[in-house]
Amino acid sequence: MNPFVSRINRGSWELPVCGLCIVLGVMIYLTQINPSTRASRNISAAQSSRIDTTDTELQNQYNKLSAQVQHLQEDNTKLQNAMANQSNQGKVLNQGLQDTKLFAGLTEVEGPGVTITLRDSTKPPPVTDSKPEVVAQELNSIIHDDDVLKVVNELWASGAEAISVNNHRVSIGTSFRCVGPTILVDGARIASPVVIRAIGDSETLKGGLNIPGGILDQLRQQDPAMVEIETVKKHVLPAFTGSTQHTLLSVPKVTK
Amino acid sequence: MIILLPIVCIALGVLIPYVLHLQPAHGIEATYLAVACIAGLDTVCGGIRTGLEGKFHNDVFLTGFFSNILIAFFFAWLGDKIGLDLALAAVLVLGTRIFTNLSLIRRFLLTKWQDERQRRKLQRQSAPATTNT
Repeated sequence: MNPFVSRINRGSWELPVCGLCIVLGVMIYLTQINPSTRASRNISAAQSSRIDTTDTELQNQYNKLSAQVQHLQEDNTKLQNAMANQSNQGKVLNQGLQDTKLFAGLTEVEGPGVTITLRDSTKPPPVTDSKPEVVAQELNSIIHDDDVLKVVNELWASGAEAISVNNHRVSIGTSFRCVGPTILVDGARIASPVVIRAIGDSETLKGGLNIPGGILDQLRQQDPAMVEIETVKKHVLPAFTGSTQHTLLSVPKVTK
Repeated sequence: MIILLPIVCIALGVLIPYVLHLQPAHGIEATYLAVACIAGLDTVCGGIRTGLEGKFHNDVFLTGFFSNILIAFFFAWLGDKIGLDLALAAVLVLGTRIFTNLSLIRRFLLTKWQDERQRRKLQRQSAPATTNT
C-alpha cells in the first residue's frame, strides 16, 4: 500500500494553520514601519553602531578638550599678570596683550546685554500631507544653522561686543553647520533651544534684532513662541575654546 | 468560509502586540524579520493549499514554517554581511510562491463551487422525475 495514502487527511489543517497565522500576525506587527523606526531601517547594523559610537566619543573628547583649553588659558593669563608685575615695561606690554586677548575672545568676559532663546515650534502643522508648501512650513518650524548664523550676524551688526551660543563663545573662525538634527558650533553639538547671549547696549541690540523683515521677524511670523528676547543686566560669557592654531599665516616683514 | 479563518487569525495576531503596547522592532534586524514574515506568509499559504487539496501533513507544515522563517532571516542577515541585497532575492522567490499558492487556492475553491452548482442543477433536474414515477 502506498504509505502516503494513509497519511492523507490525518488531522485537520485548520488548527495548525490558524495557530501559526497568529504568530505571523505578531511578526507583521513587529516589522511595521512607523515614524520612529523608519530612520533606523535603511542603514546596516554595523554602520549605524559605528556612527553612534564615533559620534558620542568625538563629542565627549571635544567637550573634555575644550574644558582643558579654558583651564590652560586662565592659567596663562594668571602667569602673564604675575610676570608683568615684576617691571613697569612688563606691565605696559601685558596691558596690550590682555587687550588683544579680550578682543580675540580668549578670556571670560562679563557685561550687560541680551539673551535670545530660539526654540523649535511646537505648533502642529496645519495639515499633514506632502504638499510642497506644507513641507516647507514644517521645515520652517525648526531652528536651523542659518537661523543661528543670521541672528549672530545681526547681533554683530547691531554692535555686540561678545557673543556666545549655548555657552560656546563666538570668535574668529567660528562656524555654524547643520549636522543631521543638530547644529554644530565649531565642533560642539547643540540643539533647540538655542540660547544666544550677547554683550552690548541692550536697547541697540534689541532694536537691531527686531527690525521688520529681519530674521527674528521671519521666525515670529512662523510661530511667535519660537523667539524670546530678554535684557540682562550682567552676564558672564565663557572664553573661546576652539582652535587657535595657524600653519600658513605669518606677519609680513616690513622693508624700508 | 473556513478560508477566512486564517485571515481572522492574522488580524488577531496583529491585535495581541497592539493591546500589549509592544513597540515595533528597530534597526536593520527589523528588515530580517520582515523577510521572515514573507516566508511565514508563504508557508501559511502553502499550508492552506495542501489542506484544501487534502494533502496536509502537520509535521511538514510546522517544520516548514519555522525552518523557512529561520532560513529567510539568515539569508537576509548574510546578504547584509556580504554587501548583497539577498533579502530582495528571498522576497522575490517567496513572493512568486505566494502568488502561485494563492492562485491554486482560488482555482480549487472555484472548481469546488462550480461542482457544487452543477450537482444541485442536476439534482433539481432529476428530482421531479423521480417524484413523478
